[in-house]
Amino acid sequence: MSEQIAPAPARRQLPRTSVAPLRWLLRKEAGGILLALVLLCAGISIAAPNFLGTYNLVVVARQASFVGLLALGQTLVLLLGGIDLSIGASAGLSAIVGALILTHFGPPPILALLLTVGFGFAIGLANGVFVAVLRLNPFIVTLASWEIFAGTTLVITHGYPVQPLGDAFHWYGGGGVFGVPMPVVFFLVVAAILTWMLGFSRFGRNIYGIGGNREAARLVGIPVVRVEAIVYGLAGALAAFGGILYASRMNSAEPAIGEDWLMGAITAAIIGGTSLRGGQGTILGTVLGTLLMAVLGNGMALLNVSGYWARVVVGGVVLVAVLVDLLRRR
Amino acid sequence: MHALIGENGAGKSTLMNILSGKLVPDAGEIVWAGAKIAFASPLDALRTGIAMVPQELTVCPDLSVAENVMLGAQRTGAVGIDWRATREIAATNLAVLDAAIDPAMRMRDLSTARQQFVQIARATAARAKVLIFDEPTASLAEREADRLSAFIRAFRAEGGAIFYISHRLDEILALADRITVLRDGAVICEMDPATATKEAMVRHMAGRPVAALSKRPAREAREMQAPALRVAGLTRAGEFRDVSFELRAGEILGLSGLVGSGRTELAKSIFGATRPDSGRIEVHGRTVRHRSPADAIRNGVVYLPEERKKEGIFALLSVQENLGVAELDRFRGPLGIRWNRVAAAARDYAQRLSIRAPSLDSPIAALSGGNQQKVILARWLLADCKILLLDEPTRGIDVNAKAEIQALLRRLTELGHAILYISSELQELLEVSDRILVMHEGMTKGTLAAGEASQEQLLRVAMS
Repeated sequence: MSEQIAPAPARRQLPRTSVAPLRWLLRKEAGGILLALVLLCAGISIAAPNFLGTYNLVVVARQASFVGLLALGQTLVLLLGGIDLSIGASAGLSAIVGALILTHFGPPPILALLLTVGFGFAIGLANGVFVAVLRLNPFIVTLASWEIFAGTTLVITHGYPVQPLGDAFHWYGGGGVFGVPMPVVFFLVVAAILTWMLGFSRFGRNIYGIGGNREAARLVGIPVVRVEAIVYGLAGALAAFGGILYASRMNSAEPAIGEDWLMGAITAAIIGGTSLRGGQGTILGTVLGTLLMAVLGNGMALLNVSGYWARVVVGGVVLVAVLVDLLRRR
Repeated sequence: MHALIGENGAGKSTLMNILSGKLVPDAGEIVWAGAKIAFASPLDALRTGIAMVPQELTVCPDLSVAENVMLGAQRTGAVGIDWRATREIAATNLAVLDAAIDPAMRMRDLSTARQQFVQIARATAARAKVLIFDEPTASLAEREADRLSAFIRAFRAEGGAIFYISHRLDEILALADRITVLRDGAVICEMDPATATKEAMVRHMAGRPVAALSKRPAREAREMQAPALRVAGLTRAGEFRDVSFELRAGEILGLSGLVGSGRTELAKSIFGATRPDSGRIEVHGRTVRHRSPADAIRNGVVYLPEERKKEGIFALLSVQENLGVAELDRFRGPLGIRWNRVAAAARDYAQRLSIRAPSLDSPIAALSGGNQQKVILARWLLADCKILLLDEPTRGIDVNAKAEIQALLRRLTELGHAILYISSELQELLEVSDRILVMHEGMTKGTLAAGEASQEQLLRVAMS
């Protein structure tokens, strides 16, 4: 029983001493991970001075963006208390479909991009219908659709890439503004929109409500089924966006796109503080989680850590992250 | 039998959690049979002979009743579990409580009350010498509560000891050998049930006199009001059938009935959480069809669930969001939800309903049950809903908060709200309602004017 005896001091009333900012930072959801990211960057830049070079940073950021888009979608699904295992395969299938549209019909690049994202939304929505309307377990539904999407990609392509995609289309994945790669721009813009959505739109708050207490959400009139189905659609759309941007960057839609993106997307969200039980997590956390994973991978490459060991380290980092989160909550 | 009473947050449950090994004390000692002991876990305490029967069900719904009784204590033979011996022990312990429970049934097919009995059987099967009950009768109807009282007397007669936490003071006066009052984590006094009065108990618990709730004066004017909600021939197979009643604006209509009489199911159906098979619902004279709770809310009909934690609150969200959640659209500006407006509205309602919270920004889980309930009420007042279906609105809430909520409901009726008040506590129904509708096994049995009715009469009507 936690009865209020004395009112807890509000955050803004903390004394403005030298430790206060640090304490404030740690108390924030994403504070711990921001601190970890800064420390990691500092450590790597000392051990490998070329880490801080503009070229390297641009590469890291761009590499992070593709999986980052999937991580954002995964965060929404996790907030609902669900999970989507099919997003990697959705990215691959959507990229192939987008590339085929582009090569067969030659629409304006922007239209091809939008159609691809729309296709991703549709296949994500199919997941959502099974989960939300039929109340099937999301783990099983998306495990099945993962296989279906991945298999369909191979059925369509016979394992061969779809290429070339054309110079005009290359700009979306390979171009940039003011030296910032376009995938990074898209990633940050999507993150900003989702941050607004989760904090300031009815739809976004409904996601937290459903993830926190599904039955209570239904009883206060939240259209639970609709919100849930749409969120799976959004996860599919973001996966498609990541996939087609990658194809655009490579000027080729490989059937293997997205094959190994799923774990990275889940990991980034979890390191960023998103709870697997739903109702807890932030977009900022996922963005930082994505960056942390990318920096870690890049740092190990720069320090010539073997790729085999890199996987072990990544797994360890995830465990440490959830342990730290556990301690912070106590 | 030793009764523990005190307001919510007085420390009763915490104390009992320490005794049953769930929590570790910071200081002090527990003496068992003359020797000092310390428990590292509930299992430790159970081995010693102390078992706690938790307030909320902690069962495995898909296992059999027998296995639930014997969970973790199954008898083993030469080749694994000896199922026959295990079932026999379960059956013996169950029979003492309620002979009608079949140990072979699946747990989820039992009523809530019977599942609670299974939890008690689990404690006795472990040969506990000291039983700790935390609000055992909160979900029991009168008849089942009587059964429990009989069990307690028998257990005591065989030399067992019982700690008993309850908000039902009558029950305690009838059963207890000693009463200890707790307030703010400290023992206030010990009382002798032979001489104690309810007023004195309440006074010690609250530390201040509680405004006594008198019977509601009969108001002729209320009779004249138009019906806000009319239900005709409402039926849902297996839950309730042919239910008809009128709820007038400005009225509190009590709904009485044993657990399992279909009260909750009826309210949920009116609210659109489930769909009735047949029958008609009219809101302000207009026939409506509630296909979902959202439809009902649009018509100003809302339901306040019995299971506050499971169906009422969003534990992770702030007090202000819990309060505004049904009405967020109203606070929308060009850039989305204006949280400062939500906060202002929440402050306003917190003040009007005297909701005590550390801050409206803190998670609602930090509030006491009574304050959580007020937040949920405020949620619907903010949404301007005038027909309130309240399911056990004061369950698990301390005496003071209860009086406050009931006073608030009366004020609402003066503003024209219509309230359906479901409760298992007959005394409470008699105090708060204008009329009382009695249900039994899914059927309505009659309506009584609360001013003239008595507890005995309500029971007689239900059983007839």
